Amino acid sequence: MSDFRLTQQAALKGCTRLVSRAIMLEALPEGHVIQVLGKPGDPHLTARLEAMSDGSPHAVRAAGPGQCFIVGDRTKTHAELADLSASLQPEAFGVDQSAGRVRIRAAGPMVEPMLAKGTAVDLSLSNFPVGHATTALIGHIAAHLTRTGDDTFEIMVLRGFAQSLWDDLARMSAEFLED
Amino acid sequence: MTPYRLPAGGLIDRRTPLSFTFDGKPLTGFAGDSLASALLGNGRLLLGRSFKYHRPRGILTAGAAEPNALMTIGTGGRTEANTRATMQELYAGLEARSQSRWPSLAFDIGALNGLLSPFLGAGFYYKTFMWPAPLWEKLYEPFIRKAAGLGTASYTADPDTYEKCWAHCDLLVIGSGPAGLAAALTAGRAGARVILVEEHAAAGGMLLSETAQIDGKPAQDFVAQTMAELASLANVTMLLRTTAFGWYDGNVFGAIERVQKHVPVPLAARAVERLWRIVAKKALLATGAEERPLVFGGNDIPGVMMAGAMRTYLNRYGVAPGRQVAIFTTNDSGYALATDLEAHGIVPEIIVDSRADAAFPYQGKARVVTGAVVSDAAGGKALSSITVLRNGETETVAVDALAMAGGFSPIIHLACHRGAKPLWSDAQSAFLAPGNLVGLDLAGSVATTSGIAACFEDGARKAMALLDEISVHTTPAAPIAVEGDIVSPPARPLWTVPGVKGKAFVDFQNDVHRRDLDLAVQEGYGHVELAKRYTTNGMATDQGKLSNVNAIGLLAEARGVSPDDVGTTTFRPFYTPVSFGALAGASHGHDFQPVRRSPLHDWARRLGATFVETGLWYRSSFFPRPGETTWRESVDREVLNVRAHAGLCDVSMLGKIEICGRDAAEFLNRVYSNAFLKLPVGKARYGLMLREDGMIYDDGTTSRLSENHYFMTTTTAYAAGVMNHLEFCAQVLWPDLDVRLASSTDQWAQMAIAGPKARRILQTIVDADLSNDAFPFLAAREVSLFGGALHGRLFRISFSGELAYELAVPAGYGESVAEALMDAGALHGIQPYGVEALSVLRIEKGHVTHNEINGTATAGDLGFGKMVSATKPDFIGKAMVGRPGLVDPERAQLVGVRPLDPETSFRTGSHILALNAEATLENDQGYVTSSAYSPHIGSTIGLALVKRGASRHGETVTIWNGIRNEFTPGRLCDPVFFDPENEKLHV
Amino acid sequence: MASLVPCPHCGARPREEFTIKGAALVRPAADADPAAWMDYVYLRDNPRGRYDEHWHHTAGCRRWLVVTRDTATHEIAASREAVLGAAGEARP
Repeated sequence: MSDFRLTQQAALKGCTRLVSRAIMLEALPEGHVIQVLGKPGDPHLTARLEAMSDGSPHAVRAAGPGQCFIVGDRTKTHAELADLSASLQPEAFGVDQSAGRVRIRAAGPMVEPMLAKGTAVDLSLSNFPVGHATTALIGHIAAHLTRTGDDTFEIMVLRGFAQSLWDDLARMSAEFLED
Repeated sequence: MTPYRLPAGGLIDRRTPLSFTFDGKPLTGFAGDSLASALLGNGRLLLGRSFKYHRPRGILTAGAAEPNALMTIGTGGRTEANTRATMQELYAGLEARSQSRWPSLAFDIGALNGLLSPFLGAGFYYKTFMWPAPLWEKLYEPFIRKAAGLGTASYTADPDTYEKCWAHCDLLVIGSGPAGLAAALTAGRAGARVILVEEHAAAGGMLLSETAQIDGKPAQDFVAQTMAELASLANVTMLLRTTAFGWYDGNVFGAIERVQKHVPVPLAARAVERLWRIVAKKALLATGAEERPLVFGGNDIPGVMMAGAMRTYLNRYGVAPGRQVAIFTTNDSGYALATDLEAHGIVPEIIVDSRADAAFPYQGKARVVTGAVVSDAAGGKALSSITVLRNGETETVAVDALAMAGGFSPIIHLACHRGAKPLWSDAQSAFLAPGNLVGLDLAGSVATTSGIAACFEDGARKAMALLDEISVHTTPAAPIAVEGDIVSPPARPLWTVPGVKGKAFVDFQNDVHRRDLDLAVQEGYGHVELAKRYTTNGMATDQGKLSNVNAIGLLAEARGVSPDDVGTTTFRPFYTPVSFGALAGASHGHDFQPVRRSPLHDWARRLGATFVETGLWYRSSFFPRPGETTWRESVDREVLNVRAHAGLCDVSMLGKIEICGRDAAEFLNRVYSNAFLKLPVGKARYGLMLREDGMIYDDGTTSRLSENHYFMTTTTAYAAGVMNHLEFCAQVLWPDLDVRLASSTDQWAQMAIAGPKARRILQTIVDADLSNDAFPFLAAREVSLFGGALHGRLFRISFSGELAYELAVPAGYGESVAEALMDAGALHGIQPYGVEALSVLRIEKGHVTHNEINGTATAGDLGFGKMVSATKPDFIGKAMVGRPGLVDPERAQLVGVRPLDPETSFRTGSHILALNAEATLENDQGYVTSSAYSPHIGSTIGLALVKRGASRHGETVTIWNGIRNEFTPGRLCDPVFFDPENEKLHV
Repeated sequence: MASLVPCPHCGARPREEFTIKGAALVRPAADADPAAWMDYVYLRDNPRGRYDEHWHHTAGCRRWLVVTRDTATHEIAASREAVLGAAGEARP
């Protein structure tokens, strides 16, 4: 046991960034993802959560009635998670999904046509503005999509499907990766 | 004589010659050619043999409806059979091969079928070849199959990729003729999101075949200018080489884009075909009209062609159809061809106009005969003459090409795809689109508008009206001035051409001729749906695009009714054939379905695991070691090692659900059949979920982690279903309960550590005291590991019957923790074990899975009667669980089974019979739900659901495998084969 | 090829994102007459025309909806939250 070191494996550890002028795909750090279970119809939930987030843009993302994700690149300690959970209750509950959800960033001028190969959601800027988030199928895999910029999306997926979704996104991007 | 390339003219690029081959023979065409125009330009007239009679066939059309010129393109995995030469763009190196001929196109043995044609008429396979019956399979059917048939599919895998896409727009415009262009301009200029779909490589539709001038310029220049403007608008998307093939619910249109079917070698990174699903707020069909063939004798001889197609070959491709051309027309459109031919120095030999009262102001040099028909055409592999019939007198005219102009049928297919029937119009002599379409309108000649200027105006106006409905306000594109526009009154139909002697074809591709339809009516199959199936008219790959309307007209005349009374067969997607590759998209091979990987996947792989697919998960099945030659050796070793020492098994794929909220306890109390209200914090409990009908739905353990926070595990198979079910209960059945649900299956790497040494091994990494007093059976707590470096959840639960724990750690740490346990356990003999060993261990303990929870088993059947609360006021399944049929003592109940002779075996699925009873359905007493070889028992053991099984322990029975017809004497027994007192569990 | 189901929270989505449970019926009280339970568990009207069904937006917002669908034409006249009272647009 003396030479044992506890290590963390990223779900997409083998997936190197894919980039061209048209498209960019990268796995994001497995920082923190807190699934917040509020009460559907609570109008103050998002504002309260903003204050608990790390303050980075789009750290709080809607995920259906009464639910949100708080995300960030930095790992939260066990104590920080416990504090966050305590401050949410009793109106809401926090479930740590930091390891259960994996984030991928997709960006570039061809990001909409690339994602249109997988999802039926109309991702045009007018219909899906910056900050908008939803869960939808990308191919056969359900994923949570957030628009974080005019040409930038973050895609959050169950860890078990992360590699398959990465492979799908890479295939969907292939024609745009040849500059 | 033959068709030939004109010295000048057309939209082809004569500076870019392209070599290609046809049946191995090298030929040359030009960029901009279709395969059909290139073949005609090379004087090739005979291009295929017909399906049934193997008659020589040439090219009939210049578009999507082509029934004759089907050929096989490409080689190896890129072989594509039944490609319409009219729709295939020419590219350098294209290899085309004719079909339906043997041994060669020019000399075809199957043409003997033509001599057999008296026996091959309508319904022939129901009649001619029925007797003697044995000959059908041995002789008739193989012969007919070899003789008939289209191209042959390749057996080599397709090397190319295909993909699917979604698109969204305000207005979808299908077709880029004058109406489509006007609509796209109108909508595009207003800023609406427009998608313009065109099936050919170049936009413009019929304008590309026109000699008219628009706004003082050639029509082709007008198209180029319009396309340039559309291309400059960011809100307009143009999809060329794209066929809209279907109209679906929700105003979704299916379209197929041939992205790289026109290039010698496709780019590997790009799909060759793209299947579009276009969600359109509004759609405009500007698909034009299809010219109708005329049904006279020999109308299929190579050299007979549609008049409009002849114009296209002349004006667009610079190809003349022949030197001695005749025109057979029922309407004014035939004269436009005459004018164009004359412009190229070809004066038609004769224009045969069926109208006695024809009054078209024709200025050309050709002889016009009115009130006449072409009754027959003659020639073998090429047209040589026609017979003109007028007032009972015939005249033979030597020709090498004949144009047919039988009027027009609007291409309304998509408008009928959602179930509405087309409507017959006597005024237009055509079937028109159904009325009251929602989200879809038609413009241009598909809406019976005639003339370029009128079609343009119609397109602009209809686009404006459609966009008005979604509050996008537009100004219609300004009208255009057209010089040489032809506005013709609708053609009167000429269904039955008089005086016909030869075979007059209605459906060219399926070789259905006029007498077949007469025969169908005579024999009582005159209904349009019956006639279709009796004669096969309209059932070929072209789905009757040219033939259906003529068949309906002929049936109407034979029955003495109007085409309205005959009606049409049903229009269904696809408008033209779509490749299976495009329909499958990327979902094949490696990408057939997603893979769900456990966080311990790589760890298991490093230890040599053999994986098995369970649903989308890959689970470690067993871990073979050097020297083990069968899977059984590995599994036996793993099973024995768990019971003797310890094992580690990946159980990450169990469903995991966080249940939070003030009313979480009450919620669990209602979804489980057993009591959950009083489960203390820090404890796990086995729970049973029923369905409302009283049968068992799923089982698992739920632990109370804190006052208002529970953690449920489900079986792997039902994880998704249980989550949906709980959400239904929370959202729909009991919305008043404060309960919140989240799936956390993927958050945790979860491992079972089982065996007598489990505690000692686990204690090396868990900070808390794990002694039996401190952490007893069913304890469930959050624990710190490695001196506080990590936190996880520890449950003392056991599926194997051993002293066992399940440890859950955040998924990213799973591999590291598993390695730590393997290191620490090496001293104690720990080994990894897979689902095969897990299954043996649970069968030895009589634990059930979904093999036993089979949807017809009650709690009582499986020995869980006490887990159905008699006191709770309500839970799912309570109302039905007490029905007499569900508590009948005769029901099948869980029981163990083993062979009398341990050397014999039996399989899962085998049935239980009373000893030596006959193997009949009446004697069936149940079946083996699970079985395995138990190294502890030394024989096969099984669990079974058997009538009154719980009270029959010790009884000798016969185990019957009906598939292998094996009878194995066996004995029913207690389903717990190992450690029935659970002494190993509580240590 | 495609059919779209309007979700009151997510907009029109392809059918593949949903799980259909069947007729939207009200669960009888636990102590209701056995006949009421037989109706609820087993008996269905199977109308030609409009039918209220429970659909779950499984690959989306994970809410249970009541979708009013025409069994003959597949036309969806309305969709609403099973409990929240939110109504969805009938057409995209």
